[in-house]
Amino acid sequence: MQELDDTPEAAYALRTAKRRDVRFVRLWFVDVLGLLKAVAIPISELENALERGVGIDGSALDGTFRGRERDVIAVPDPATFQVLPWTPDERVARMFCAIRSPDGAPSPGDSRAALERVLAQAAELGFELQVGAEVEFFLFDRDGGPTDDGSYFDFQAQDSGSPVRRRTIEHLEGMGIPVKASHHEAAPSQHEIDLVHTDALSMADAIVTLRAAAKQVAAEHGQLASFMPKPLTGAFGSGLHLHLSLFEDGENAFFDPDAADASLSPIGAAFLAGVLAHARETSALTNQWSNSYKRLTPGFEAPEAATWTAHGRSALVRVPSNRPDLPDAARIELRSPDPGCNPYLALAAVIGAGLRGVEAAYLAPPADEGEPSAPPLPATLNEAVDALAGSELVRDLLGDRLVDAVLRNKRGEIEAERATVTEYERATLLRRL
Amino acid sequence: MSDAWIIGDDDGVVQETARAVAELGFRPLRAHANGSIDVDQGASSGRGTPDVAIVLGSVSSVQSLRAAPDLQDVPIVLSLGPEQLDDADPLVGADELLITPFAPAELRMRIARARKQAHGVGADDVVRAGTLELDLATYQVTIDGRPVDFTYTEYELLRFLATHPNRVFSREALLTSVWGYDYYGGARTVDVHVRRVRAKLGAEHAQRLKTIRSVGYRFEILE
Repeated sequence: MQELDDTPEAAYALRTAKRRDVRFVRLWFVDVLGLLKAVAIPISELENALERGVGIDGSALDGTFRGRERDVIAVPDPATFQVLPWTPDERVARMFCAIRSPDGAPSPGDSRAALERVLAQAAELGFELQVGAEVEFFLFDRDGGPTDDGSYFDFQAQDSGSPVRRRTIEHLEGMGIPVKASHHEAAPSQHEIDLVHTDALSMADAIVTLRAAAKQVAAEHGQLASFMPKPLTGAFGSGLHLHLSLFEDGENAFFDPDAADASLSPIGAAFLAGVLAHARETSALTNQWSNSYKRLTPGFEAPEAATWTAHGRSALVRVPSNRPDLPDAARIELRSPDPGCNPYLALAAVIGAGLRGVEAAYLAPPADEGEPSAPPLPATLNEAVDALAGSELVRDLLGDRLVDAVLRNKRGEIEAERATVTEYERATLLRRL
Repeated sequence: MSDAWIIGDDDGVVQETARAVAELGFRPLRAHANGSIDVDQGASSGRGTPDVAIVLGSVSSVQSLRAAPDLQDVPIVLSLGPEQLDDADPLVGADELLITPFAPAELRMRIARARKQAHGVGADDVVRAGTLELDLATYQVTIDGRPVDFTYTEYELLRFLATHPNRVFSREALLTSVWGYDYYGGARTVDVHVRRVRAKLGAEHAQRLKTIRSVGYRFEILE
C-alpha cells in the first residue's frame, strides 16, 4: 500500500492542524448518489490516518439501496486539508478521501476514484480538463416555503436569502474555492453561485463543498438550502451548468484561431459530438432523480433533446461565441445537469463521452437542429435508467460495481415512487372518480 | 524549513558551517557550484531553490551559481580569506561578504542581510506586504493578525512569489520552482493555484498577485 506519511502535503497538513489547534478532522467521501459522508477522527489519530487510512463499512458508499457489506479503508488526501470556516472557533478540518480495498487497491465503489481514472485517460491522450460550474439552489424557510418572491438578478434589500448566499461565498473563498459571480435566479428564493473554472476533480470537490457550506449557513440563518432539481411546481428548476474545455500543452484545444464567430476547433467539435451522441446514456448520472425530469419539461429553458446552439437558451449544449482575444475562453456549456447529481460520476461520464468523440472522430450535427433529427433526452428517470443500463461506454468508464450500484438505487427509487400516491393524483382524481 | 546550501571544497569547514546554519534554524544541504545537490540529504523531490547559499572561498562558484536561471536571485553569502581579497572582483555577485575566520554571530547577520536584500525577508524570518505576513519559520500566514490557511502547494506558491517580489515569472518557471522538476502537470495548474491563493487572500491582498498577460505572474510589494 502506498505510504503517504512522508509527502510534504501530509507534513504540511499535520503542521497546520497543530498550529491551528484543530481538534477533529472530518474525512469526507460521497456515496454512489453523491451524498456527502464523513467520519470524524480526533487530531491524535490524524498521523495514523494519513499513513494507514481509517477502516469504514463499505456499504456506506452504496446509497439508499445497499449491497452486501465490505470493509474498506478511507485514505485522506492531504492536498484537500482545509479548516472548516463554519465550525465554532474553526477547530474542525476536512479532507477528501480515496476509498481503498483492504489490499490497498482503489475500491471499485469509489466515485472520486472513477473520475480520477477518466482524467488519467484524458492525460494519456495529452489533455487536461478545465471545468467551470453554475450552481443553482433554493433557500426555503424551515417549513419549506420560499423566503422571498424575487426574480432574475433582482436586487432586494429585504431578500432574506442574500446574507446566506454572501456568507456561503465568503466561506468558499476562504477554503480556496474562487467564486466568479452570484445572483438571484429566476424563481422565488432561487440563487446561483458561479465557480471559477479549475481542474475537473477540484471542481467536483468544490461542488460537494458548496452544497455542504450552503446547507450549513442556511441552517444558521433558520433556513434550508435545497439542491433539489425542481422543488416548486410551475417555477424554474435548479440547474448545474457545466463549462468544459480541453487543454493540450497549455493551449485551449477547443479554440480555433482561423474560425470566425462561434466555431470550435476540430477537437472541440468532436468532443461536443461525443457529449451529444451519448447524452441519453449519461442522463441517469447528470440527472439522477425522478424529480430531475420534472425540471426538463417544456417552457423552463431546460434542454429536451441532444441539440447544440450558439445563441439559444434551451439546447443541451451552448457554444459561447468565439472570442479571438480570449483563446482560453473557448468552451462548451452543458445545460442539462442538475445540482442533485453526483458530480464525480456526472463529470466522469460526460468527459468520458466527449473523449470518446475525440478518439473516434465523431462528427457534430449542425447547430440548432432540433427534433426529430436530434435524439430526444429521456423524459423520465425510467427511460434514463434503461439507457444507462444499455450503455457500454458508461460501463467502460465507471466500472460494473458503480454502474450496478446506480442502477440498484435508481430502480429502487422508481419502484418506491410507483407505489406512492401523489398530491397530483388526489387533487385530480379523488373527487372525479 | 528553510534550506541553506553550503558550497565548498574543505569538508571540515563545510561541516562546521552546516552546524552553524542548523543552529540558526536552516536545513543545511551540501551543494555544488553547478547547482546540483548531493542526494540523500532529506531534500524533497527536485532540488528546488534554496533560501540562502553560503559559498566558502570561491568567487568562481558564485559566478557559476548565478548562471543557472532559477538561482539568479538566491541570496548568496561569500566567505573569503584575507589573502583572496586583493584579486577578488568587488562586484562578484554575492549579496554579503564574510572574511575568514568569522564568528557564528556574524554569519547569522550576513545571512539575514542577504535575505532581506534579495527576498525582502525580515530578520525575524517574516515577509511583510502591508497587513499580510508570511512567517517562513512557522509557515503561518496572517492578514491583520488573523490566520489564513493554505494547502502545501498554495503556501509554497505564495512564499515563492512573495520572496521574489515585483518580478514576473512565467508559468513554466513557477512549475519548476514551486512544483519541482519532476512535475508533469500542465501549466494550467499554476493558474488554478493562483486563483485559489487569491480567493484566500481576500480583496485587500488578492490584487498583489497580478496576472501579466501572455507572460505570467508577479507579486507586488510596493513600499
